[in-house]
Amino acid sequence: MTPNWLTPDLLNLLLQGLLLTVVLTAVTAALALILGVAAGTMRISGNRFAGALAVLHVETHRNLPALVLMIIWAFALPNLFPPELRRSIFFDNAFLNWLSGWSGLSLPYYTLAAGVALVLNTSAYLAELFRAGVGAIPQQHVDAARTLGASRLKLFWTLLLPQGLRTSFPAISTRLIHHLKNTALAAFVATPELFHSAQTAITRTFLALEFLMLAAVVYLLLAFAFSGLLRWVEKQWLVAGG
Amino acid sequence: MNDHISFLIEKLPVLLFGFSGQRPGGLFLSLILAVLAVAVGFCLALPVSGAERSRWRPLRWCAVAYVELFRGIPLILLLVLVHQGVGGVRFGLNWSPRTSALVALALYSSAYQAEILRAGLAAVPQELVESARLMGSRPRQVYILVKLRYALRVMLPAFTGQAISLFKDTSVVVVIGVAEVMTVARMALGADVTNAPYWVTMYSFVGILYFALAFTLSRLSQRWERRSRPSDLAHSFFSY
Repeated sequence: MTPNWLTPDLLNLLLQGLLLTVVLTAVTAALALILGVAAGTMRISGNRFAGALAVLHVETHRNLPALVLMIIWAFALPNLFPPELRRSIFFDNAFLNWLSGWSGLSLPYYTLAAGVALVLNTSAYLAELFRAGVGAIPQQHVDAARTLGASRLKLFWTLLLPQGLRTSFPAISTRLIHHLKNTALAAFVATPELFHSAQTAITRTFLALEFLMLAAVVYLLLAFAFSGLLRWVEKQWLVAGG
Repeated sequence: MNDHISFLIEKLPVLLFGFSGQRPGGLFLSLILAVLAVAVGFCLALPVSGAERSRWRPLRWCAVAYVELFRGIPLILLLVLVHQGVGGVRFGLNWSPRTSALVALALYSSAYQAEILRAGLAAVPQELVESARLMGSRPRQVYILVKLRYALRVMLPAFTGQAISLFKDTSVVVVIGVAEVMTVARMALGADVTNAPYWVTMYSFVGILYFALAFTLSRLSQRWERRSRPSDLAHSFFSY
């Protein structure tokens, strides 16, 4: 069934990479959505300080390439500290050792840094999309909720959040698919995800075209599956659930 | 603090224009790559968007497959695929990193531009097209002077957004070693351990360069859109 260049240990390597890509995408996409909605809400909250903070976050992380952000977090930040301190903060402490033993990553800091950069980058885009979605809510709905005596918190939970998410969800889905593709950038900061394991396979076998095509097909399938999942979520929770 | 600033000042010409005695690089090359890729991508997007609205089904499928393929795979993968897989020695092409980068970025950008163009062409009011036909315009005139012109104006924000996004995406070409600003920053830092304290300064500065350009470009395009849009739409309604 499998072609002869795809030996069992290389297949195993690629599957581990695939697993990390899926986990990384799921975790960072969820966190980015939460942070994005929070930042979008801060911006419309009317509190000047919170608004300024949200604008700073959005403008910084939207205008920086995701790769630059990743390199700053992964490679540049540890270099701020003297060697001994660097080792104990970023590479050799109880939490990271536990994470390493649990996940099988040899240097979990790089994966964490890539994840942080991805969350910051995507949440900046999502904040703007959510804010636009809230802006599209008819004023009558807000007025009606106020007339009925809804508190600000209640207004947010029952009106702004569900309706804002519903109107902006198609755009949010597009951005999240883009986020899935952006996780491949993490390979550049030594995160052994799918693209990284394809590259490792290439250095072992020198079969560039085969493994890159295989990775491309897997990414395409992942993108289709993810967009299908997002459409399902939209239908189940956002449209039918009201 | 002072040594960080003098380090940056020392490296600034390299970051902006690449190493002296070599072909231009640095931020200048990032910009050139982005502009060329958007231009070539637009030329590719025109036939693809046309094919997407074709009446002949296989052609439509091919166009959809093209767009889904290049929008569905990560840019970093596409770059390596073009450089090592397609443009490598196996097919006797042996493309330079610059050529591969341009090809990959243009293909990537063309898929997005084709989608924008398709949406823009779909938004052209039928009355506009019909009145142009009634006036006796040839199909080609209708396409270029009416449909394309209208689509480009309506989709201007989407196009500029895509171009700015592509400019930021040029940072990814560091994986195949094109001497743009990221690669140059990496080379300027080198493997020298004494440079370690400058890493944050250097990459933050690269970040500031990207930020300054991307932010300025997006603000400029916003202003340009606000100024040109209403009158342009009126113009395109009244003058045809």
